Amino acid sequence: MTQNVSVDDDTARDLLEEMLRIDIFEEETKERFGEGEIPGFVHLSGGHEGSHVGMGAAMRDDDWLAVGGARLIGQYIAKGVPLPEIMAELYGRVGGSNKGHGGQMHVSDVDRRLYGHAATIGSGQNPAVGLGLAEEMKGTDNVAVTTIGDGGTSRGSFHTALVFAAYWDLPVVFIIENNEWAISTPAESLSPDHLSDYGIPHNMPTESIDGSDVEEVYHTVAEAIERARNGEGPTVIESRVVRLVPHFEGDKETYRDEEAYERAKEEKDPIENYRERLLENDVITEDELEDMVANIEAEVEEAVEFARESPEPEPEAAYDHVYQLPLYGQGEEQ
Amino acid sequence: MTREITYVQAIAEAIDEELERDEEVILFGEDVEEFGGNFGETEGLYEKHGRNRVRNTPLSEIGIAGMALGAAVGGIRPVAELQFADFAATAGDEVFNQIPKQPYVSGGQIEAPLTIFAPSGAGIGAGAQHSQSVHSWLGNVPGWVVVTATTPYDAKGLFKSAIRDNNPVFFLPHKMLSETKGEVPDEEYTLPLGEAAVEEDGEDVTVVATQLMFHRAKEAAAEVDADVEIVNPRTFAPLDTETIAESVRKTGRLVVVDETVERYGTQGHIANEIVENDFFSLDAPPKTIGVKDIPIPLSPPLEQEALPSADRIANGIESLF
Repeated sequence: MTQNVSVDDDTARDLLEEMLRIDIFEEETKERFGEGEIPGFVHLSGGHEGSHVGMGAAMRDDDWLAVGGARLIGQYIAKGVPLPEIMAELYGRVGGSNKGHGGQMHVSDVDRRLYGHAATIGSGQNPAVGLGLAEEMKGTDNVAVTTIGDGGTSRGSFHTALVFAAYWDLPVVFIIENNEWAISTPAESLSPDHLSDYGIPHNMPTESIDGSDVEEVYHTVAEAIERARNGEGPTVIESRVVRLVPHFEGDKETYRDEEAYERAKEEKDPIENYRERLLENDVITEDELEDMVANIEAEVEEAVEFARESPEPEPEAAYDHVYQLPLYGQGEEQ
Repeated sequence: MTREITYVQAIAEAIDEELERDEEVILFGEDVEEFGGNFGETEGLYEKHGRNRVRNTPLSEIGIAGMALGAAVGGIRPVAELQFADFAATAGDEVFNQIPKQPYVSGGQIEAPLTIFAPSGAGIGAGAQHSQSVHSWLGNVPGWVVVTATTPYDAKGLFKSAIRDNNPVFFLPHKMLSETKGEVPDEEYTLPLGEAAVEEDGEDVTVVATQLMFHRAKEAAAEVDADVEIVNPRTFAPLDTETIAESVRKTGRLVVVDETVERYGTQGHIANEIVENDFFSLDAPPKTIGVKDIPIPLSPPLEQEALPSADRIANGIESLF
């Protein structure tokens, strides 16, 4: 059965393009990591692209995003951080968004209102509440969106953030990307029917949606953001997705049922499904799609070149950014 | 002109003046509104500045510290109270992993101009989980500016600077000093962060001490037959090693007294700085005195046993001659 397209054609093409951008960028990241060019861990977003992109499209440029969970890179892209800056940061180079101080788990872009990521899962939600408080104190109608995985909802800090956001009705949208796995621990053993139910005792609006449907995410998050902008307080959204990739590159995934995994790939790949949907609804042609992919591949290629050509930081740069000096009262500026 | 106020009045005045001066400053914490804080440190602020600027929070240090971080990044200047310094541990991830590191990992993009303040120290029989001095925990995590206060003058001037500083600052008043009185200037003033103060001049031995230990060191100095110079570090991180070293170059002897436990406490770090860099200015091995390596017990005689007494400090000083 053909699904209708619920957004205008330009928006639909943008949503598909952005999902493909994440996919192609991450495939390249996987290759570069495999070749030993990228240090540390790499966690990829496969299966989450619809959730990331729907959310990103629902946000205004001046809304904050505080990333949580372990599917990171796709969210950085969805918030509009330029690909070369992300790739150079993955490489740990000076041209990276964080000059190599952050890496995969800590891409920040304050000008684009990307707060960054709390790499200790579940610790990014209270800062998001603080961002919401700051915007409210400053009298703007900007909101803070914060994401977390199913695993992170077991942290007390997540629940504290709900308490604090509800206490002052702050403009915060909590998105739980439930991909059913906290590394190897299944979410189905958690008690709530839907993880968004954690918002119920706080009298927050809650939604549980198919997060692999980019349009559904876009509409639901846009409504939650609208409520927050209008002073109607926080929302909790469970965005149900599948993890079509290992927890991190190198994870053998011995804990997964192969048959169910194959079925998930077949049925819940947000990009494949949306591509078919747009083709069937004549929103895009095969030729246009090919051009789109070719353009993104070129963009990603440029990002890799930028990262490779960007210098390694000088060792002395390790001492930068610990403190802003002089401290107050020292020196002559104050 | 000066006037005499108490240490907690100095704290309340510092917050009051900064709330008045800068509309981006906001105070929040448990029971900071009508209740006025456990020691009276926020008394009158809610009535004067209103609910938007002075906010009670639900009971969670995770929320207080985490929200302070986000609010600071979002462009306001939060002053957040934890009711006891021990509770830095109940907001462990926020205090140790998030706040001091986000500005660094962002490559300097993120500014977190927040102040957390929390009464520290033993002496009121509050037991093992309400009596600790935590500046060695915090000083161990680069990124925090860690400040203490010894007198009302310190408390007001340093707290105001802490609020104005663009780094995350952990400000640690001492609960035993709450009602002590001291002179503060009538006019507005601030004191520099990151700079130690030579509080008492002397020729024979340098004693480094802050907070309650400073006052005990003064008693000890009056007991011993030596001319004691007392240096108050004021800021533990970053530490003004130079002022301490300069004093030791003059006196040739060093005693470091602090209310952190002797095992991995601040005393060892301060002594080490001098041993490594100024060894030949020492005429005797440095002496470190701290809290015994036990949790702070409740019963007053047990509690006092754990803390450095004026006698222990005096003996420490004399052992160097």
